[in-house]
Amino acid sequence: MESVLALAWLVPVLPLASAAVVAATGKRLPWGGAEVGILSVGAALALSAAIAWETFTNPGETLERAFAWSPLGGGFVLELGMLVDGLTAMMFLLVTLVSLMVHVYSRGYMEGEARFTYYYAMLSLFTFSMLLLVISNNTLQAVVGWELVGLCSFLLIGFYWEEKSNQDAANKAFLTTKFGDVGLIVGVIVLSAGMLGLSDTPFNFGETIDAAVSGELATGTIVLGMLLIFVGCISKSGQMPLHVWLPDAMAGPTPVSALIHAATMVTAGVFLLARLFPVLAQSALVMGVIAVVGILTLFFGGLLALVQDDIKKILAYSTISQLGYMVAAIGVGGYTASIFHLFTHGFFKALLFLGAGSLIHAVHSNDISAMGGLRRPMPVTFWTFTIGSLALAGFPMTAGFFSKDEILVSGDLWALNGFATGTYVYWVGIAAAFVTTFYMARAWFLIFTGEHRGAPHAADAHGGHGADHDAQADAHADAHHAAPNESGRWMLVPLVVLAVLSLTAGLIGSPFLQDEPNFEAWTATEVIEGTTYPFLAEYAAGAGVVAAEKGPSAKILHGPPTWHLDLLGIVLAAFAGAVLLAWRLYGKGLPDEDPTLRMGPLSRALVAKYGFDAAGYRYVVVPVRDRLSAWATRVSNDVIDGVVGGTGAAAKRLAGVTYATVDQGIIDGGVNGAAFSAAWWSARLRRIQSGDVQRYAGALVAGVVLLVLAFVAIR
Amino acid sequence: MDPNTAGWALVAALLLPVAGAVAMLLIPAEADRTIRRFAVVVTGVAFALVAALTAAFDYGRSGELQFVTDVPWIPAIDARFHLGIDGISLPLFFLSFLLPFLSAIYTTKHLPEPGKPKAFLGLMLLLQTGMAGTFVAFDLILFFIFFELVLVPMFFMIGMWGGPRRDYASVKFFLYTLFGSIFMLVSFLAVYFQSGLRSWDIVELSQAAGIGSVTFQTWAFLGMFLGFAIKVPMWPFHTWLPDAHTEAPTVGSVLLAGVLLKIGTYGFIRIALPILPDGALRFAPVLGVLAVIGIVYGSLCCLAQTDVKRLIAFSSVGHMGFVMLGIAAMNEAGIQAALFGNIAHGVITGMLFFLAGSLHERYHTRDIAVIGGGMLMKIPRYGVLLTYVAVASLGLPGLAGFWGEFGAMWAAISPGLGLSDTYGGLYLGLVVFAAIGTVLTAGYFLWMLQRVNLGRPSEKWAAAELDDVMRVEWVAWAPLLLLILALGVFPRLVFGVQDAAVTALLRSMGG
Repeated sequence: MESVLALAWLVPVLPLASAAVVAATGKRLPWGGAEVGILSVGAALALSAAIAWETFTNPGETLERAFAWSPLGGGFVLELGMLVDGLTAMMFLLVTLVSLMVHVYSRGYMEGEARFTYYYAMLSLFTFSMLLLVISNNTLQAVVGWELVGLCSFLLIGFYWEEKSNQDAANKAFLTTKFGDVGLIVGVIVLSAGMLGLSDTPFNFGETIDAAVSGELATGTIVLGMLLIFVGCISKSGQMPLHVWLPDAMAGPTPVSALIHAATMVTAGVFLLARLFPVLAQSALVMGVIAVVGILTLFFGGLLALVQDDIKKILAYSTISQLGYMVAAIGVGGYTASIFHLFTHGFFKALLFLGAGSLIHAVHSNDISAMGGLRRPMPVTFWTFTIGSLALAGFPMTAGFFSKDEILVSGDLWALNGFATGTYVYWVGIAAAFVTTFYMARAWFLIFTGEHRGAPHAADAHGGHGADHDAQADAHADAHHAAPNESGRWMLVPLVVLAVLSLTAGLIGSPFLQDEPNFEAWTATEVIEGTTYPFLAEYAAGAGVVAAEKGPSAKILHGPPTWHLDLLGIVLAAFAGAVLLAWRLYGKGLPDEDPTLRMGPLSRALVAKYGFDAAGYRYVVVPVRDRLSAWATRVSNDVIDGVVGGTGAAAKRLAGVTYATVDQGIIDGGVNGAAFSAAWWSARLRRIQSGDVQRYAGALVAGVVLLVLAFVAIR
Repeated sequence: MDPNTAGWALVAALLLPVAGAVAMLLIPAEADRTIRRFAVVVTGVAFALVAALTAAFDYGRSGELQFVTDVPWIPAIDARFHLGIDGISLPLFFLSFLLPFLSAIYTTKHLPEPGKPKAFLGLMLLLQTGMAGTFVAFDLILFFIFFELVLVPMFFMIGMWGGPRRDYASVKFFLYTLFGSIFMLVSFLAVYFQSGLRSWDIVELSQAAGIGSVTFQTWAFLGMFLGFAIKVPMWPFHTWLPDAHTEAPTVGSVLLAGVLLKIGTYGFIRIALPILPDGALRFAPVLGVLAVIGIVYGSLCCLAQTDVKRLIAFSSVGHMGFVMLGIAAMNEAGIQAALFGNIAHGVITGMLFFLAGSLHERYHTRDIAVIGGGMLMKIPRYGVLLTYVAVASLGLPGLAGFWGEFGAMWAAISPGLGLSDTYGGLYLGLVVFAAIGTVLTAGYFLWMLQRVNLGRPSEKWAAAELDDVMRVEWVAWAPLLLLILALGVFPRLVFGVQDAAVTALLRSMGG
């Protein structure tokens, strides 16, 4: 019997079919298309679970199938194919599960929306796009999925397109990520160009990886290609400085934020880095750059959440920070740790966003200073949100704890290989965990404890434009709405499911599961197991630190996770310290002036978002959109067209001159001149014929005299 | 229909529109509806014939000429009547029968002032024969005649049914193209005399590869370059295009963008490259640089436009830049991408001009600021179509625009015929700048959509009665809308047909 993996193609196809059916018939269905979306994504989840189980229990099982999608010229072939291994299966499970939760949740959250059916079609289309990226066996197909994901994101961020701020947010997201895609596309092209002599299918992941590992692919190609692809990951996965679109993307409906801007799409960059890990592992430079960007992002991205009052923006910046962890982990050889964190983060971040949606639904505001005391009226939301916060903060035994610790441990091991980036990941990672715990505790205290404040903030310092459209509209409609109530069942069930997963999903990668199968064995491919870092020997030895063979990290896989009591101690201390500090500052309700705004220049920098947004607008958008474009048009109209017009005018003038001077003046002048002179002479000569005989006689005599004189002279 | 013997089918398809135009003369000018319907029938029958021809085409031998007619024509100057079709010609030939058919359907409802469908449609039919002929002519003299034949009807279409500045635009279009074609003709003559073959036959001259010295080829290529580059148009020969498009009637713009511009790039690929490979090789970096300037520059100009139609016109400069970048790569992948980009641009931009025309029909303006947004609310179906086609035009994968752009960049990273050894760095730079051009392209389209489609309708339009997409528009547009998706999902539809022909072409160039 054929393995269930052979059916993997159905996983993306089901949501695609759903998108088509919903778009075509959704408006006529009793639930407006929601039922189609839920059923098909549910089916995709069931299949994904079967595939996950198959690959989990048989580590290393891989299936690659492809057919020639199109010839590209020169004998090269573009494949449409699937590569199903543990990594794919893990992503399948995550994407379909979160997507299903969002599909279910939206049934309640989006109830009564004007574009309900369109919304569901887009959700399904998005799910398909992400799965197309995940399943692909070649970089070009991945690019197709990647860009489609971007389009869906654009359409859903701008879902409430009546408002200009939402339109701007959508455009910003699309264009920022598109800018990063320059890197991705050129990177993919560079890598495939290196493969031209080696394969007819130059985009194939497996062949590219094999060529890189075996050294057939030139180092220059690898470095240039991977650095460029990484630029794409920077923009898609919200790494600094191209993270600017992600907080603005919160303009979309909250379930979309959960699905796209937290759990799945933004992980595309990390996924691609994981997929190409054996390639980038060939270069210390590439890994170093990735690590540095990740470290900066995980720390400075997290800090930005401190000064936010919009619950969704707090979560958005936390997403940036957590993605920073994942990227940094890739840069320090934490392949398993990175995708493990991707996996667990997907659940608890989806949970937090959906919980935030439940809160927003109840109080009609995104602003945590308008919340407070929501523990009693909203018990399910309270408990699930608390679980999500604990997981995000990395509280021991939650899912986030195991995965984050794995990243820190990876940093530690990398440091043993003599790379400072490893040390930084370890310590900065711990510091950022403190920050994370603090801002989540701040939000938690302000949302759930104390009295319900409820007053809509008229003068919100950060501009309330991130607020959901419906929340805004409702807030205007009834400023004094009823006391907040718990959300309905459609919204609570997904919260509970995700809360359970946030508590338990980490166990498969925890030290409790020492033997295979575990997370590491599940997501490790054959190549990953066999690959080592070629630069390690010379680099480590040259640096005079621990020799490569002494540390375990010469291999990509670190082996089954173990307990690190020292780290556990530090993490617990950081957690307790951060919660205590938050309790002291916010435990008694909202302070008159938020302490996070009283940190002097740091607060100012954070409120200004380090100036990235303003600089991007001022030094990129405005010059290109307003100045360069005007300049180009002027050149076109005045200079180039001036030459064309000038040539035309010159030809015309030349024609005029030719006609007036040469034709009319000289040539025709000659003709006319001949005629004219004849007339002149004839007028003169006419006078001779006067009929006066005496004059004729005189002339005759004169003539004779002249002739005689002439005759004499000649003689 | 046997592709080996049925040369008559190609001739018939080519002559049908002209015959239709002549027959139309017999219909009295007052019979307005009859004339319009008659044009639909003529173009429809011609399209059906071409569809049958496409079905009968032997795709296993797409590298060879099929449906050939090759008879002496003007023996005194060795000119022959040589028609044929191969994998490179077929998609373009198909397009030049599809678009006039759709235009005729569209014209049953929309025809700008001063009306006169008899003259308008007659010119369109004449134009159809001219442009279709360029793609199947395999004799340089015959090609030249078709090339020039195209100018006259288009000149009158712009000059009589055009916008306020139609006189200027039509004369500029006519003279500019004619100017370039003179140099092209001189080059044709030079090739004829230099080759010593006493032949104008494109196939024979291509097989002779390497006519004259490198210097000769360079000069001859320069002449053809002027002729074709103006037609494409390449930067900096593009300034006739925005004027012509802005003033042309909708159908004129559709055919201009959809087919006429392709004659230039087709000429490069079919004539200039294979007959003058050495000249082409010397020119390739220049072509590449001009192409990429066109991409970036065209996109920048789009950002500054206030008129929707002029914006679309300028976008052609950028898109044709990608096509030329593919040609400049001088390898199979590049030619493939260029030809794909040709077709995709024809379908997408043709559709965009239809939309711009219908926009004008409704709002009686094309000024973005005057429309002022809210179209998606006012006429939602129309707004969705505009979004769809704009997204296709900005090169979203899964829709037609992507493969030509990506393919051109992919091909240009490793240019053929030894160019990568000498100009590898230059071409890498070209790829990077071309990729940046895609961001600018996304930028101006999204900005346009934001200002036209999104938001709420302004006061001026809030109460106005505007028709959403009409039935005749659905009929005329549906094939293009479907093609945009089909070509995006099945790039094989074009790549597969062209593959063998492009291989054969490159082989003759020594690549």
